[in-house]
Amino acid sequence: MAEVVLENVTKTFAGTVALDNVSLTVPDGSFVVLLGPTGAGKTTTLRMVSGLDTPDRGEVYIDGEPVKGLAPAERNVAMVFQQYSLYPHLTVRQNLEFPLKSPLLKTPREQIDRKVREVAEVLQIAHKLDNKATALSGGEMQRVSIGRALVRDPQIFLMDEPLSSLDAKLRADLRIELKRIQARSGATLLYVTHDQIEAMTMATHVGVLNEGKLVQFGSPRAVYEQPVSVYAATRLGQPRINVLPADIFAGAPLGAASIGLRPEHIQQGAGEDALVKRVEHLGDQTRLHLTFRKHDLITVTDAHTPLRGGETIKIQPLKPLYFDAAGMRLA
Amino acid sequence: MLKSTVDRVAGATPHALAKRVRGLSDRSLAWLFVAPSIVLLLAVNIFPLIWTVRLSFTNFRVNRPNAEVQFIGLKNYLSILSDKDIWLTMQATAHFLIWTIVLQVLIGFSLAYLINKKFRGNDLWTTIIVLPMMLSPAVVGNFWTFLYQPQIGLFNYAVGFLTGADPSSFSMIGDVSLAPWAIIIVDTWMWTPFVMLICLAGLRSIPSSIYEAAECDRASKWRQFWTITIPLVLPFLMLAVLFRGIENFKMFDLVVQLTGGGPGSITELTSINLKREAFEKWRTGYASAYAVILFVTVFGLASIYVKALNKVKQR
Repeated sequence: MAEVVLENVTKTFAGTVALDNVSLTVPDGSFVVLLGPTGAGKTTTLRMVSGLDTPDRGEVYIDGEPVKGLAPAERNVAMVFQQYSLYPHLTVRQNLEFPLKSPLLKTPREQIDRKVREVAEVLQIAHKLDNKATALSGGEMQRVSIGRALVRDPQIFLMDEPLSSLDAKLRADLRIELKRIQARSGATLLYVTHDQIEAMTMATHVGVLNEGKLVQFGSPRAVYEQPVSVYAATRLGQPRINVLPADIFAGAPLGAASIGLRPEHIQQGAGEDALVKRVEHLGDQTRLHLTFRKHDLITVTDAHTPLRGGETIKIQPLKPLYFDAAGMRLA
Repeated sequence: MLKSTVDRVAGATPHALAKRVRGLSDRSLAWLFVAPSIVLLLAVNIFPLIWTVRLSFTNFRVNRPNAEVQFIGLKNYLSILSDKDIWLTMQATAHFLIWTIVLQVLIGFSLAYLINKKFRGNDLWTTIIVLPMMLSPAVVGNFWTFLYQPQIGLFNYAVGFLTGADPSSFSMIGDVSLAPWAIIIVDTWMWTPFVMLICLAGLRSIPSSIYEAAECDRASKWRQFWTITIPLVLPFLMLAVLFRGIENFKMFDLVVQLTGGGPGSITELTSINLKREAFEKWRTGYASAYAVILFVTVFGLASIYVKALNKVKQR
């Protein structure tokens, strides 16, 4: 229900630059996933929008209004913290009720009860409502933490790795639920994750951060297929993109220093010989670890491949990405 | 409790070690280790306690060792409980106890709350504030008698300066209506830092991320204070009250040094009164009964309190 704009935002913590002149427009109602390694500035970006930290330079706009000087409570944002930050002396129910009991909202009792029950149901913690927050497992705490954001109806959701300590099944369930809730409420959602499946399946936009700089911003598909640099290319894709010297295959354009090949972009059965080092059967597909001219690379193949380690196959690049010496992609 | 400790020690003893000490099982080895403490405890705590209870039923006087000791039943207890003067000392003690705790908790928590805010030099301020409790009670009592001195005392001067009253028109120690407050002020001055330190430990144990979550949940500072700060500091605060309560129930040195129980017997707290009975009037049996009554009172109050404390902690 609100557009978020960061304009030339810079933030320094004790000499370390956390955000370096970041400009970013998060469209109204979009689901934006921020990617990047630890220290890239993902969490700092969320804290800028929430108001927990203020930019050293630059401006943050929510719904077109500059929010400098507005406390988090005045911004109508809900945040899920990476370290959960539950109220330790309260029960799960009281934790979930806490935001609704804000005098700013004046939520009637029945509505609080209904909302808490609803959210607890979605997050599969209804049976834990009367437990103390400290008597929960990590995954349960994390779900309560998500729930505390979901009971509200904020303009913006900010979520810092909200599914990181859940098991695979629950994670898959909640990916769908979060996407559904966000779509239904129309709220803007900023989401930090390391998990590329979350990024690919949930995001309408992906922002790639590196050392405080926004490297690329676009749809997950665009970032995957048209990465601006080696760095952006390695953020998405599992197994990772293979990056090799450009001259390893013929046909590299002028100025190319390296060639990037996604595992599925290595065509098999034609081209040059590569040695199969290891074969990993994953059930739905098979990963091949190859050695090609002293370089390791990974590709995927049919689930029922008869190939075995030690054999040789022929490979050639398909839809290669070329990068210059600085790691930027050549158009 | 003791048995379970022994079991635990026995369980924790490496098997090979136990084997090497021939003829001793893990269990007896464990008993051997705790035996010195048990013996010491029995000798200096348990035995005197039992002996005191025995003496409390007699007319024994320690300054007349050759006189015949008679068992007089509950007579000591009955005469203590029906003694109006003793009830007055109990009242004085209760007055002292309640006001020192109320003031020390209020001021101590407020100071801790302020010191906990990040500002330049708060470590230095903490050190300065904590100084009074590092002094000896005898010293504190002695120099406060100077501060309270009507003609030259700084306290009287300060009160006079602030209110316009004549500094020598009142005596904190000499006036019947002021003396109870004189001892409360000094005890508060001396021991508020202790309460502050415990509150500070409590405040510092609350992670800042909880306040950040509350900020995002749109809780005002006021609501954060009442729904997060207070409940999370409460167990610490109650512990401070327990410590101060027990300490002040047996308050002796500071008050003896300041007022000596006077004027009259208006600041004569139970421990001072008890000491008079035992070591000035030498009524040993009577004083023993007195001590038993005080012991039961403190023990009873403390156990109720500790139960409440555990409840708060579990919440």
